[in-house]
Amino acid sequence: MSAARNAGRALKASTRLALALLWLAVLLAAGWLVSQRLQLGGDLRHFMPAAETPAQKLLIDELGEGPGSRLLLLAIGGDDAEALARQSQALRATLAGDPRFSVVANGETGLDAFPERLRPYRYLLSPTFDTQRFDAAFLAAQLDARVQDLGSPAAALVEPLIPADPTLETLVLAERWQPANAPQRLHGVWFDRAGRDALLAVQTTAAGFDPQGQQQAIDAIETAFATARVDSAAQLEISGPGAFSVEIGGRTEREARWIGVVDSIGLLLLLLVAYRNWKVPLLGALPLASAGLAGLGAVALLFDGVHGITVAFGFTLIGVAQDYPVHFFSHQRAGVSPWASVRALWPTLATGVVATCIAYLTFFVSGVEGLKQLAVFTIVGLGTAALATRLALPALVDRDLCDPAASPRMERLRTLVARAPRPRWSLLLLAVAALATIAFVPGPFWQNDLAKLTPVPADALARDARLRAELGAPEVRYVLAVQGQDAEAALRASERLQPALSALRAEGAVTGFDLAARYLPSVSTQRERQQRLPEATALRAMLDDAVASSAFRADVFEPFLADVAAARAAAPLQVEDLAGTPLAASVDGLLLQRDGHATALVSLAGLADPAAVATVARDHGALLLDLKQASESLVAEYRERVLWALALAALLLAATVWIALRSPRRAWRVLLPMALSTLLIVAVLRACGIELTLFHLVALILAAGLGLDYALFFEHAGDDRAEQLRTLHAVIVCSLMTLLVFSLLALSSIPVLRAIGSTVALGVVLNFVLGLLVARHPENTRREAADAGA
Amino acid sequence: MRTPFVEVRGSALLKAPLRLQGEYRRPDAGTLVREVRAPYAETTTIRAGEVAIARGQRAPRTFSLSRAPELAGLQASFGSLLSGDRALLERHYRIAADGTRQHWVLTLVPKDAQLAKQVRDIVLRGRGAELRCIETRPAKGDLQRTLLAGAARAALDVTDGAALAALCRGE
Repeated sequence: MSAARNAGRALKASTRLALALLWLAVLLAAGWLVSQRLQLGGDLRHFMPAAETPAQKLLIDELGEGPGSRLLLLAIGGDDAEALARQSQALRATLAGDPRFSVVANGETGLDAFPERLRPYRYLLSPTFDTQRFDAAFLAAQLDARVQDLGSPAAALVEPLIPADPTLETLVLAERWQPANAPQRLHGVWFDRAGRDALLAVQTTAAGFDPQGQQQAIDAIETAFATARVDSAAQLEISGPGAFSVEIGGRTEREARWIGVVDSIGLLLLLLVAYRNWKVPLLGALPLASAGLAGLGAVALLFDGVHGITVAFGFTLIGVAQDYPVHFFSHQRAGVSPWASVRALWPTLATGVVATCIAYLTFFVSGVEGLKQLAVFTIVGLGTAALATRLALPALVDRDLCDPAASPRMERLRTLVARAPRPRWSLLLLAVAALATIAFVPGPFWQNDLAKLTPVPADALARDARLRAELGAPEVRYVLAVQGQDAEAALRASERLQPALSALRAEGAVTGFDLAARYLPSVSTQRERQQRLPEATALRAMLDDAVASSAFRADVFEPFLADVAAARAAAPLQVEDLAGTPLAASVDGLLLQRDGHATALVSLAGLADPAAVATVARDHGALLLDLKQASESLVAEYRERVLWALALAALLLAATVWIALRSPRRAWRVLLPMALSTLLIVAVLRACGIELTLFHLVALILAAGLGLDYALFFEHAGDDRAEQLRTLHAVIVCSLMTLLVFSLLALSSIPVLRAIGSTVALGVVLNFVLGLLVARHPENTRREAADAGA
Repeated sequence: MRTPFVEVRGSALLKAPLRLQGEYRRPDAGTLVREVRAPYAETTTIRAGEVAIARGQRAPRTFSLSRAPELAGLQASFGSLLSGDRALLERHYRIAADGTRQHWVLTLVPKDAQLAKQVRDIVLRGRGAELRCIETRPAKGDLQRTLLAGAARAALDVTDGAALAALCRGE
């Protein structure tokens, strides 16, 4: 009777199709809207647990990824040196005016690098008189040197400076502000030692972890180079963390797109062959697409920004929802109302969904923003897919799908399966063997270095190391940090560190270092320097003596007297005073100020002996931070929370299944394949020498979710032959689809895709086989055996 | 190739012009060395567009050749005169030739706008195969005169400015 009522409510075929297309159109429109509005964050900080150690705090709260992460190293080669130098100059000229770059350096400097506004401050910034007395003898020697300068080829360069600056302090400073280990200069710009490549160092305004910002910066550089090159055969190479992330991001996207196309065609063919109805692939895609959009929408509503990793992990995890409509299609056949078919499946489907969602709820207690986002995404997504399958699909599907129970081929398959033995003790043996493998295979269990999953090609790394050494560019991994309650305290602390750093450089522990105090001395140092400047009358007497015995005319140095008097009276320079000068970028990168707290960083180049540097740093109240180690320890902590959440999730899941099935025996049959599969996957990965990462963990969760559903449906089929055939058909289609998608990922050249792909593909096979062997109803086999015996 | 030189350099900052003597050398085609021997010792090396000036034990001060245009003219004229490469000279300057083989004058006017802003012209004077004098007239300031080869040898004991100018002009 209910079937008749439902039949009365059935829509016409054309209306059904129109509604399905409308649904699709709404999804496409919503997807477009979301893609326009969605601000994807790539900032790892939101995906990590709270920082605890000083290194972690600095990494998470202040640095992002370290001062070296925004540096791009450029090399132009493939033409003669003069042509390359011209291109380097043109490139610098273009990029220096581009707000996407805070520093563009190619060795072109001169006095224009010394800001006119700061000229009176030169005696406060220069260390010359820290070791040299400002007296008549010094002045006389300086004037002699200036006479010689006027007789030298530098005469035109120096002559305009002499009246105000006879000690050439502005030149001393301009040279001092050059990078500590600047490369050689040819034709006015930096070149590598061999003189083949012109070199530039460029600092982006965008953070190193901002892939879009880095992409824009690299595009800008390439455009500027194309213009600068004109018709030369020169080639530009770009290296550095930003360039790597852009390159890898592009490669991942290309592979993912290629895989996506093959997947779509494969899934389409698979569904067409399985159901011989062209509308099924369309209808089958609707719940999953709705799930993804609903998940994204919910996260966007509940959180400030959606993390890139949430989206990547989330879409992986809701992949299980693709199976929901398949189960329905395999059970829909002529003569049965779609509503009735879906109602028959609903308890099993709902058990799977509810158990999985309850498991994901544990991510909420992890206390990590990224995991909470992931929980919301998957719970909302899976719920949406289940409800869409339950409430919307039955209205749209064609009723006369072919019944797998009527297929002789399925029947042959079922007979084959029915003959399979029911393993008992062999499973225990398998579990023990897997545990032994996991425990006794040598090598580290976890891989905490997320960079290993998106590895930079070896030749690019070699090129980066070469450019870094040539340019004397700072290490990306290590940085020294000195804390203070304000900028002044931090600057003074870093100044105290300076002699020790020079000693380390002399010993070869580092080849160079850079710190904010090199550009902006602390106020106290500036005051000390002011004290050392002679007062006006003394200076005039000194100068008159020196000039009288020199080749200079007597009245030349009035501007000098005025400048020294101004320097004596000037208020010491502060960080804010540097705004708008080329020094600001250097100082801002190395002096981090927050409310009531400042950190002075010392970037290190060519760090050969981290232990020695760490010891010296400790002795001077500084800290050598290993940013790689800090981020790895964060990953480890993060994983620990995930594992605790998963342990809790496993218990909740088992309890949910037990309650839903109302029998410990049935629950055991459903849970065993999933648990054993997980154990076996880990054992296989270990045996292959693969170190597990967060991505493997996510893949394992997905595999477990799939396994739970397979087992639930096998178990649900009971001992009815037709029901078993339909379930077998559905699970075969489901597992083939998942297998197709994830084996393609497993073939990828990118380790992160390979990790997820191989783990899930392995999980699908194991869960299917074990589900079939363990969860399938035993009554049926007994009856088969009885039939065979009779 | 090496040749003695005598140079007179004037500056508004100085009581009297500086008179330097020493030697120009070309150890190889890409390098020009200017060695001042009196009144003090100083060695300038020009190579690959860079100038390094060394005095005594101190680290040399380096700057880009493009910042000292008078040297660019010197480097170019030495190189092209020695190799007879008129084309090289013509790449950078408009050339006007005058005089006789025994008393020739080449006037170089920079083509490059950047250089022209700093150097009005460079006059090369010679006798036969010998480059004897270079006069660089900057856009601002005094004419700088470098006497070379035979002219420099003749100028060794001459200090008077007018006499040096006459030697330069080959009078």
